[in-house]
Amino acid sequence: MRIALNILQALILILGAPLVRGIIARCKAFLQRRQGASIWRPYSDLAKLFHKEDLVPPTASSVFRLVPFGLFGTTICVAAFVPLVQPSALLASRGDFILFVYLLAMGRFFLSLGALDGGSAFGGMGASREALISSLAEAPFLLSFVAVAILASHADFAGMVAWTLQQNIFNVSAVHMLAFTSLAMVVIAETGRMPVDNPTTHLELTMIHEGMVLEYSGPRLALIEWSSAVKLHAMLALLVALFFPWGMVSNVSAGAVILALLLYCAKVVLLIVLLAVIESGMAKLRMYLVPDFLGVASAVSALAVIFTMLDKR
Amino acid sequence: MGLVEVATGKILSSFSVFLFLTILLMVVSRRISTSIVLFSVQSAIIAAEAFATAFRERLAAAYVVAALIVVIKVVAIPRAFFGLVSHLKTSTDVKASTTPTQSVFIAAAMIYLSYAAVQSYEQSVHVPEDALAAPVALILTGAFLMVSRNKALMQMLGLLVLENGIFLAALTTTFGMPLVIEIGVFFDVLIGLLLMGVFAFRIRDTFDHLDVSKLRRLRG
Repeated sequence: MRIALNILQALILILGAPLVRGIIARCKAFLQRRQGASIWRPYSDLAKLFHKEDLVPPTASSVFRLVPFGLFGTTICVAAFVPLVQPSALLASRGDFILFVYLLAMGRFFLSLGALDGGSAFGGMGASREALISSLAEAPFLLSFVAVAILASHADFAGMVAWTLQQNIFNVSAVHMLAFTSLAMVVIAETGRMPVDNPTTHLELTMIHEGMVLEYSGPRLALIEWSSAVKLHAMLALLVALFFPWGMVSNVSAGAVILALLLYCAKVVLLIVLLAVIESGMAKLRMYLVPDFLGVASAVSALAVIFTMLDKR
Repeated sequence: MGLVEVATGKILSSFSVFLFLTILLMVVSRRISTSIVLFSVQSAIIAAEAFATAFRERLAAAYVVAALIVVIKVVAIPRAFFGLVSHLKTSTDVKASTTPTQSVFIAAAMIYLSYAAVQSYEQSVHVPEDALAAPVALILTGAFLMVSRNKALMQMLGLLVLENGIFLAALTTTFGMPLVIEIGVFFDVLIGLLLMGVFAFRIRDTFDHLDVSKLRRLRG
C-alpha cells in the first residue's frame, strides 16, 4: 500500500507538472486582465511537439541528441524524492538532500552541454549564465536544507517531513521561516521564474533557459519542456512538504489519502497564486543584480543555520 | 473562547519571528515605498501583540494603546509618508550606502547580537527569548537604517522603526507603560514626524534633493 502510494506520488509529480504551468499562465493572464489560454494548454503543446519532426543542427554531435534524455532521467529521479501525501517517497529514504541538490545540478549540466553543442551564440550565453546562477544558488539551496535537517536531525526528506508533521502548526520557528524564505528565492532562481529569468520570452538578449533550448525542436524539445515543468512542480511540492506538511497521512486509508491529496492541491495552488503575483508585480532584475538577489538568499539561509543553535526545541 | 486564548498565546510566542522577517526585508528593500509598506506591516504585528497582551492581562488601557497603534502607525503615518513621497517628487531609490547583501549580513549579525544581549535577562523575566530579542533587534536595525541610508525620508523611517522597538520592549517586559505616557509618546512621534516632514521640504527646496550625504558641503 505504501509503495503504491509512493508510485502514485511520483506519477502525480510527473504527469501533473504541465498542469502547474498551465495554472501559473492562467493566473498571470488573469492578473494582467488577459483572456489567457486553458489550463490544459501545456498538455496539448507537449502532444503537438511529440508529433513534430526533430531537427538537429548539422554541426551538432551525439551529445546534443542524448542531452534531453539525460535531463528527463535525472528530473524523474528528482521527482521520486519529494513526499506529497505521506511522509515518504520512492527514493526519500535512500538518498539525502545532498543527492537531491546534485541530481538537479546534473540535469542542469546536461542541459548546458546540449546548449553549447547546439552551436548557436544564444545557447552558449544562456549556458554560461545558467552556470553562474546555479553556482550562486547552490550555497543557499544546501544551507536552507541543512538548517531544517539539523532541527529534524534527519538528512533525508522522509525524516525531515515526519519530524515537521509532529510539530505544532502554530509554533512558527525562526529557522523554518528563514529557511523557507531563502528556499523560495532559490526556487525562483533555479526554475528560471520572473525576477531572475523571464520564462515567456523567446528573443531577448537576457534569456537564460529559453536561450539554452533555442536549437531544440520536436520530441526533444518536448522532453526538455516537460522536465523543466516537472522540476518546477517538484520544487513547489518540496516547499509544501518541508514547511507546510500538515494534512499528510500517517496511517494509510482511502479517505485520508483523498483528503491529503485535496489539501496538497490547495497548498500548491496557493503557492502558484503567490508565484503569479510575484511574477506579475516585479520587473526582471538586471543580470548584474542577480548575484545580489542570491546573496540575500545566502545570508538568510546562513542566518537560518545559525538560528538552529539558538532555538533547540 | 478557547480558540482566542490559543491564538493570543501563539501571537505572543511566535510573532516576533515575523518581526525579524520585516527587519530583513526592510534592509534589502530598494524603494522607499516598499520600506513604508514594510513599516506598516511591522506596526500591524506589534499592534497584534499589544492586543494579545491586553487580552491576556485583562488591561483596558492596553486595548486603547493597541487601537492607537493601528490608527497612527499602521494607517496614518504610512499614509503621511506616501503623501510626502508624492509631494516631494524625488526619486524612489533609498540611496543605500551598503549593498543589499552587506545589509542583510549586518542585519543578521544584529539579530544574533540581540539574542546574545538578552540571554542574561531571560531567567529573570518570564517571556520567551524571541520576544525579548525582537525589540532589541528593532532598535539596532532602526539605528542601522538611519546611518546607512542617505535619503532624509529613510532616516525618518529608521527613527520610527527604533521607536517601534522601544515600544515593544516596554510591552514585552512590563505589559506596556501607563496610558498617559503612551499617549504622550504617540504625540511626540507625530510632532517629530511633522517637524521632520517640514524639514524635508526645506532641504528639498534649498538643495533640490534629499540626499543628506551632500549636506556636508555646508561646513565652511
